[in-house]
Amino acid sequence: MSYDDDALDLALAALPLEEPPADFHARVMAATVYRPEPAARPWEVWLLGTFVALAAWVAWIVAATPHAGERIVATLSDAVQTAGLSSDYVVLWLAIGVSAAWWLSTITVPSSPGRVEAK
Amino acid sequence: MGLALAVDSPLTAPVEDDQALIAATLAGRSEAFGELVSRYQRAVYHLAVRTLHDRTEAEDAAQEAFLKAYRALATFRPGAKFSTWIFTICYRACCDRLAKRKRFSGEELPDRADSAAGPELLAERSDEAERLRAAIDGLPEKYRTVITLYHLQGKQYEEIATVLNLPLGTVKTHLFRAKEQLRKALTA
Repeated sequence: MSYDDDALDLALAALPLEEPPADFHARVMAATVYRPEPAARPWEVWLLGTFVALAAWVAWIVAATPHAGERIVATLSDAVQTAGLSSDYVVLWLAIGVSAAWWLSTITVPSSPGRVEAK
Repeated sequence: MGLALAVDSPLTAPVEDDQALIAATLAGRSEAFGELVSRYQRAVYHLAVRTLHDRTEAEDAAQEAFLKAYRALATFRPGAKFSTWIFTICYRACCDRLAKRKRFSGEELPDRADSAAGPELLAERSDEAERLRAAIDGLPEKYRTVITLYHLQGKQYEEIATVLNLPLGTVKTHLFRAKEQLRKALTA
């Protein structure tokens, strides 16, 4: 049989498609829309792991160092003194600043009427 | 005479239909994505089988294509054709697998004709469709993919060029040569 361009096109059009396995659709759905959400994202797991490792390391240092508790308390109180946090005025202004920042973050600015939401 | 599209409903369906399904999927209607999978699973699997020559690998590549499409659905450009997009994803997944296969086996897979589908095998396959399928399998990979997409997408050369990331002229040349080789194989 000879095949001109049209005959070849017809033969190609009549060629049946390969049939995927019967459970293909179900497997795709299970891997996509029906896939359960992971309890935590990978970066969250890494962050938590880092914190746990850091905490374990600090606990080990504290346990291994004599009088570590007193030293830590002394270092922290020195830091508070240096930063001026022992002063009532500094603490007051800091509280005012934090409150203002929190209040500003709760304000909702209405969008302008000409703005079109992206679909 | 025009080449009829090979897929039952999906590629003849209006683009808006697919767009509506995509929008519904993004809105959280899981059955909408199920409908998209139903529409394109045969075509995507067919492309993977014809490109990879391995049903198990083709299954994985086709599944991977749908998975990637689902994850990237929000980035789908409105107005584009879903078929072109999913075929592109599937073709890339197949290329990755071919590259891996080539790396591990050292075979010259992409441009090599399939030795399993030689003239002897062609003679054994009496049925016309089987002979045509065997002839397609016997084409070098670059021609086989072009003819497979021509089969799936009809005479939409620009869509084929987009999927393969090739210039339009190259697609037409590949198609011309693929048809020449098919004719020779079928009349031999």
